[in-house]
Amino acid sequence: MPGTTATPDIELIIENTGGGGGGRPPAGGDDGGDDGDYGRHRKRAPSPRRYSTGIAIALVSILMFFMALSSAFIVLRRGSDVWVTVHLPRILWLNTCVLLGSSFTLETARRRLSLADLTGFRKLWLVTTSLGFLFVAGQLIAWRQLVAQGVYIASNQASSFFYIFTGAHAIHLLGGVAALLYVSFRKFEKANILLSHAAEITSYYWHFMDGLWIFLLALLYLGK
Amino acid sequence: MPGSRVTNSMVTYDSGANQPEKPEAGFFSRYVFSTNHKTIGLQYLWLALFSVFLGMAMSLLMRIHLVWPGVHLPFLSTLNNTPDRYAALTTLHGSLMVFLVLTAAPQAGFGNYFLPLQIGAREMAFPTLNLLSFWVTVVSLIGMTAAFLIAPERGITVWILSVAIFCAASLLNALNFSVTTIEVRAKGMTLPRLPLTVWAWFINAILGMLIFSILLAACVCLLSDRLLSTHFFSPLNFLANQPPNVVANALPVLWRRLFWFFAQSEVYVAMLPCFGLTTHLISTFSRKPVWMERLVVLALCGVGLFGFCVWGEHMFSSGMNPFSPLVFSLLASSLGLPATILLISWLGTLWNARIQLNTSMLFALGFISLFLAGGLSGIFLARHDLASAAVSDDFITGHFHLVMGVAATFAILGALFFWFPKLFGRRLNEPLGKIHFWLTFAGVYSVFMPMHWLGLMTHSRVSSGRQLAAVVAAGSSLRVFITVATLLTVLAQGLFLINFLWSLFRGEKVAECNPWRATTLEWSVGSPTPADGFGASEPVVYRGAYEFSVPGVAEDFVPQHLAPEQVVKAR
Repeated sequence: MPGTTATPDIELIIENTGGGGGGRPPAGGDDGGDDGDYGRHRKRAPSPRRYSTGIAIALVSILMFFMALSSAFIVLRRGSDVWVTVHLPRILWLNTCVLLGSSFTLETARRRLSLADLTGFRKLWLVTTSLGFLFVAGQLIAWRQLVAQGVYIASNQASSFFYIFTGAHAIHLLGGVAALLYVSFRKFEKANILLSHAAEITSYYWHFMDGLWIFLLALLYLGK
Repeated sequence: MPGSRVTNSMVTYDSGANQPEKPEAGFFSRYVFSTNHKTIGLQYLWLALFSVFLGMAMSLLMRIHLVWPGVHLPFLSTLNNTPDRYAALTTLHGSLMVFLVLTAAPQAGFGNYFLPLQIGAREMAFPTLNLLSFWVTVVSLIGMTAAFLIAPERGITVWILSVAIFCAASLLNALNFSVTTIEVRAKGMTLPRLPLTVWAWFINAILGMLIFSILLAACVCLLSDRLLSTHFFSPLNFLANQPPNVVANALPVLWRRLFWFFAQSEVYVAMLPCFGLTTHLISTFSRKPVWMERLVVLALCGVGLFGFCVWGEHMFSSGMNPFSPLVFSLLASSLGLPATILLISWLGTLWNARIQLNTSMLFALGFISLFLAGGLSGIFLARHDLASAAVSDDFITGHFHLVMGVAATFAILGALFFWFPKLFGRRLNEPLGKIHFWLTFAGVYSVFMPMHWLGLMTHSRVSSGRQLAAVVAAGSSLRVFITVATLLTVLAQGLFLINFLWSLFRGEKVAECNPWRATTLEWSVGSPTPADGFGASEPVVYRGAYEFSVPGVAEDFVPQHLAPEQVVKAR
């Protein structure tokens, strides 16, 4: 960012010593100022920080959603004497590898981007997106396998939880896939966010979905 | 730097900043699908106004039905006069009031309008998301109301779906609020300089992010029970071979946990913004800084934190680990600490102040009174031994209506009288407002205090028949009294409606920016707020939010946006 806001920032720091300073500096003071974005003469992209803050808070909320489901799982699992075990389909382990692999390719893609290798980035990003689709497809196969065994969502509590956990995770993951596609196809010359920032924010979400899946799988495996 | 970085989501304020004079064209883009935070805030307020009158009509129907069951009533006798209808009425009243009035008005309504103005932002962080969350809220209101009108079995499914939709809307709204407060503040608006209203909205948004997810998860499980016939909560078929007491205890407890985890915190979701509003009003109309401002911020955080943890309080009577009631009892009682800090701060601010006793201030004082009265009965409920043994429905109904429903409504009304000039460029009528205040104040005490007594009477241990008969007689006359008082209180709200509508079109015009001589940023712009908010200038903040009666200054207030060299010194 060009240093157009340097002078107001300095004034601000001087002002801070007067009244109730002490808190953290005003948002955007270090990256050029969000609030200056809409000024007449300094029109430019809003700081990406609002997006990263937004995604961080949204992740906390999503975590809370899955924690509520997990605690319901634990409460019912411990309180129930007739727990019917659902044997996890083997393909889940393959899916897990696919998802972990996608996180790896995503990070490699971002490294390419930071080295200004745009074609390498596009290629790896596409691989990540495909792996994302592959994971969802794998989850669908797992569902079909269970259905073939006669295990439906309403069969027993364990199966209900299996479908709810995998289903809710898949829906959230599809949101991540949408973000991956957005980064692939968006013309960032016209966007108000830089490609690198969009990729970074998508990566937060994607890795979180990755970790969440590991957690849910562990919960289903240990609690079966 | 590329010339035009404008995307769809950012069109409104980017173009607004560049051509401040040009109004948005078309009815739809201006009122229905506007991403402007002021429009959305007002839409939320209209929605709440509609819901509060609908909900009030429901409560009137219920009270009349309780006392004179034979009377022909719309919605009850017209739609099969069954106990189901009465339960549906209670559900609709509760969901309208809690979700669309108490949650939506102080947070989404006033918050959307005034949070960006108070922190010197031009827009919320994500305007399109804001628009989306409003319309999703409207969908949930329609769903909740429709659920009442269709057959109960399907109606409940629709209702749960609407609640889930409301959760999603609140989550989007809370996300927007927290990011806006963290990232889009004006220059110089450091955290200690934030007005307490903003602090309350912010803490509330964080709390909302946590608890609405939980309710959403509970709703997902419940919906899957009803639609996909899973067994998260229902003790049906597959546990049929279990002894009945195990089934009865195990499954509803899960629902109650998940539900109360949300619902107890929901009380604080409704109350937190009201604490902020009341503190703000009291400081402004006492012409004094908020006493112990930092401590008040900590207390607001404390309310959020403890409020999040007290869910187990509601489980006293449903059988938990014997140690957990003690923990939750302590937590529930520890809510008294931040509440006491707030109360002391309010009284400290009022102490020796030159109080301007206008309607807005009256409502703020009424809030304190109701909060204190309702909070005291809460101490009884926090004692797990008392709560399980001696307290019945009426006591709890009285308690939470006083502390949550009515107190919050008083804060909302106070804020409305305070901000009306900024919203519409006119004042609400003061004498009419004062009459409305006193009638409502007397009315709500007459309604909800006897309810506490009714609750205590139900459990009074009287052995002999004659005493019992006397208690029953007193009880039924109390019920009649409550119903008559409800009727009168609801009628008094007509006064408010008249005042509101009359002032909207004919009220005394406000020409100046700052009629209340208040300090925060929203009073630095014209009344009503111009479409482009701060216009071309960038707001800069130089001091804290409550600089009243500063020694050595000519006026008794120093606005936040006034540069130090502009402050007129006293002679």
